Amino acid sequence: MPRVRLQYYALLREQAGRQAESIETAARTPAALYAELAGRHGFRLPASQLRVAINAAFADWESELRDGDEVVFIPPVAGG
Amino acid sequence: MSRFAFTQAPIDASSLAEPLAHDGAGGYATFEGRVRDENEGREVVDLEYEAFEPLAIAEGERIVEAAMRRHGATAARCVHRLGRLAVGETAVWVGVAAPHRAEAFAACREIIDEVKHRVPIWKKERYAGGDSGWVNCRHGDACHRPEAGFDYSRQQALPEVGAAGQARLAAARVVVVGAGGLGSAVLPSLAGAGIGELVVVDHDRVEGSNLPRQPLFTVADIGRSKAEAAALRLAAYNPGVRVTALARRFDAALAAEVVPGADAVVDCTDNFATKFLVNDAAMRAGVPAVLASVYQYEGQLQVVRADQGGSCLRCQWPEATRDGLVGNCEQAGVLGPVPALLGQLQATEVLKLLLDLPGQLRDEVLLVSLLEPGMRRLAAPRHAGCAGGCVRLPGEAAPAPPAGVDLGLPLAAAVRAGYRIVDIREPMECAFEPLPVEGESVPLGRLLDGGLPPDPERPVLLVCAHGVRSRAAAEFLRARGHTAVWSLEGGLAGQAGAH
Repeated sequence: MPRVRLQYYALLREQAGRQAESIETAARTPAALYAELAGRHGFRLPASQLRVAINAAFADWESELRDGDEVVFIPPVAGG
Repeated sequence: MSRFAFTQAPIDASSLAEPLAHDGAGGYATFEGRVRDENEGREVVDLEYEAFEPLAIAEGERIVEAAMRRHGATAARCVHRLGRLAVGETAVWVGVAAPHRAEAFAACREIIDEVKHRVPIWKKERYAGGDSGWVNCRHGDACHRPEAGFDYSRQQALPEVGAAGQARLAAARVVVVGAGGLGSAVLPSLAGAGIGELVVVDHDRVEGSNLPRQPLFTVADIGRSKAEAAALRLAAYNPGVRVTALARRFDAALAAEVVPGADAVVDCTDNFATKFLVNDAAMRAGVPAVLASVYQYEGQLQVVRADQGGSCLRCQWPEATRDGLVGNCEQAGVLGPVPALLGQLQATEVLKLLLDLPGQLRDEVLLVSLLEPGMRRLAAPRHAGCAGGCVRLPGEAAPAPPAGVDLGLPLAAAVRAGYRIVDIREPMECAFEPLPVEGESVPLGRLLDGGLPPDPERPVLLVCAHGVRSRAAAEFLRARGHTAVWSLEGGLAGQAGAH
């Protein structure tokens, strides 16, 4: 199974209890990966409210995940 | 031969004119600016010009190139003196050759106006009384004189800054929306850098819970207007900076008042509703914006190059992004240095863009985590739907482009909607009735010869006088496989009643 490196920000970091992790996943897309992680970590934010970046570029939720990808989930933040 | 140059030697107009001559150039216009014997009521004996040449030359080249392209000039050159000049000497010379006089006059006028406005040149005047002063006079602007005692020498020692960069900062006007944690860092840094004018917008009052991360204020300020307390503090810190305090809510009306004409706007607010307002006002006015947000131990920063068609906040976050979705500082908490650091990054990006320093963020989001600690730059290109969705005025739906080639809408709305405006009229026509908005000039003959450089990112709107030639040209281009091409219905003549 492909192994991906994950980075969490803001609320997701809090809910996951970590900034980063590396996992093996059967998910083929960031959307499927987020659904899997939501189950594991109890993420409450819907994917529609987040952005995802793969290998340092904002990406589509339906793009294809590859072995070794770095995936970052980014919630909106507004504090000032 | 370079199109913009500095010289220490007296300007010899005839030798500069010679290389511009061309058999196809029926019009030739020149302008000479000379040293006057008086400035603001003071008798001037002589003066000295100084510039940071690499930056100033690059800017000057851009100005001459753009004016030539816009007006269809065949050759143009601008030369500016440096060093000491006596009254009556030529300080700046512009020469333009074009097929006809109208283009020559128009390009010559544009070059001198833009050079005076944009090229950072620092001028030391010596007065009859024996004293002297360094001044940077933008065309029609008040002169800025640095406050005695406030010494920018360490910043000016940077090779990329120098006296010319300092002059550029002194001529800049920056709007800062929000005087909270981010603003507490942004404002002193920009005032300390010598920005000429700062506009501070915040309708809130100082609370005790603000103080740990907002050292712009003291306990004595509790209950005072944040904008006014900030302005007082900044005025005491650097009296050379003009600070305007606006203790009002930043709404669309205020945005329309303060954003157009600013050199940059900095978003230091704490809610999405206002962030979108700042973003939209900047996009509409074509003013670069530096936005940041913080959450607990981390933050996000985005530079919106509205002046260069860059991606914006709406390209990353959909309309539906609402406050309350994730906590703000009050609900989720925040560590004091986090907004301070993000604010310093914002101030740095503002200075980078004003000084044209390398490494500017554009079409990227910077993620900063202080727990990790680390920074991550994410490419964030302009959203495909940005042209229609990002710059929408209240009550003005972005037009869905019709399948046919005719597009009937006000030109200004087409610009806001992201269309690339291409004026296909002949140079003569353009000179008599200039395009009312920013656009490119590609006369019909050149367009049909394949003279339109492709830009897959932006739909093209062709413009002519009555919409007849532009329709034919759009149909021609579509037949050649350019699908995103439209013609302005009714041409410029049809714009009279369009609002």
